[in-house]
Amino acid sequence: MTGMLCWATVAWLLGIGLYGIVTSRNYVHLVGCLSVVQASTYLLLLGIGYRWQAGPPIFYDHPPGTPAVDPVVQALVLTDIVIGATVTALLLALVLRLHKRTGSLDAGSIRPLSR
Amino acid sequence: MSLLLDLLFFMTAVTGTGIVLSRQPGRQVLAIAANGLVLSLLFTALQAPDVAFSELAVGTAAVPTLFLVVLISTRIDRTPRSEAKE
Amino acid sequence: MTPRARLLVFIGACACVLPAAVDVVMHMPAFGVHPLPYGDAVNRLGTAERHVTNMVSLVNFDVRGFDTLGEEFMLLCAVTGVTILLRGARGEQPTAEPGYAPGRPDVRRSAAVTAIGRVFAPLIVLFGFYVVLHAMTTPGGGFQGGVIMASGCLLIWMGDGYRSWRQMMRTEILDAAEGFGASLYAAAGLAPMVLGLPFLTNILPFGQPKDLLSGGLMLVLNAGVGFAVAGGFGVLFVEFLEETRAVPLGGGE
Repeated sequence: MTGMLCWATVAWLLGIGLYGIVTSRNYVHLVGCLSVVQASTYLLLLGIGYRWQAGPPIFYDHPPGTPAVDPVVQALVLTDIVIGATVTALLLALVLRLHKRTGSLDAGSIRPLSR
Repeated sequence: MSLLLDLLFFMTAVTGTGIVLSRQPGRQVLAIAANGLVLSLLFTALQAPDVAFSELAVGTAAVPTLFLVVLISTRIDRTPRSEAKE
Repeated sequence: MTPRARLLVFIGACACVLPAAVDVVMHMPAFGVHPLPYGDAVNRLGTAERHVTNMVSLVNFDVRGFDTLGEEFMLLCAVTGVTILLRGARGEQPTAEPGYAPGRPDVRRSAAVTAIGRVFAPLIVLFGFYVVLHAMTTPGGGFQGGVIMASGCLLIWMGDGYRSWRQMMRTEILDAAEGFGASLYAAAGLAPMVLGLPFLTNILPFGQPKDLLSGGLMLVLNAGVGFAVAGGFGVLFVEFLEETRAVPLGGGE
């Protein structure tokens, strides 16, 4: 039951994030919806690596034989979060340049370069 | 433990929906910070303290600040001042 | 494509994908009980092989160290992109005049906010440094500590105003820290090749487990990542906050 809720949450976050990107009227709102899609991938990876009645993969207080969850997926998600924030910053810089050039953030009213 | 995980999964879905349904960017920044906090709690419950550290620092401090600064910058008056000063 | 047509196409695509998604959710491997061979191997052998107790740092800097090199250069590229986009349009000089946003009230900053900023900013930067140092023993590392250090400096902006904060964050130092971190990682990876060993082989002595100075080459890589992430996020904050300043004489872009 918990497992199915986990994968259902992943699918829900992916779907609602894509819905937000498709129906967004404001470019800053669109970048925020992209962060929801990123969160769904983090949850998927960490859900795969989980194990019941296991501790974190840090063996400072416990000897290295105690049951622990998967450290490989945690390493992937950790770097992914920080780099994802940097890519979000890059997208926000693009939005800022777009606003300076055209004066609006409306996703529907900006057309490609017209002669 | 499984009840805690169920509750946190549900709250993640709720805050994620809150980000998408907050159409005004000023309100969406708070929704992003709330989602970052709930995700950080969820990662702690999934026995991943490193990841929770990372998500807390990034999702509640760095990314909402960047969003807020972009929103401030889009309201600045950018007409050239070369004719306004002497 | 009109927004309504786009929404209809999206709903159509969701209707096509939804049965497959439900099927996948029903038939995923059991949550929490399925075998994790690589994770179990790292947990069993990690402390004995490399004398560290934080398995996540072990995977990040030793077992999958090459991936972290790629991630760090992705960060470098993204920060370079932001710098080109924003600083290229604006110029290199810091502008001191605050931008004027019509219709916004001008609220005076209270003394309590200034005091909080001045007291907590050095504490948070120190805490971030502590997190970077304890990469091999307890949860921490260069990525987390770097972001904490850069975010701690923002409290000076909140407490003391833009001018003081901008004088503190010199872009020369931040650029140098970021470049130094990335090149330290790459150089530490190339060092074993001088001795004829593969790239990123752990050639330094491993030390004792539960000791701060354990792990060998991972300490150097961790320091490189810490410098790069702290410098990178500092540059990001400086570039974005410069955009809130007034447009200089002669008009901007």
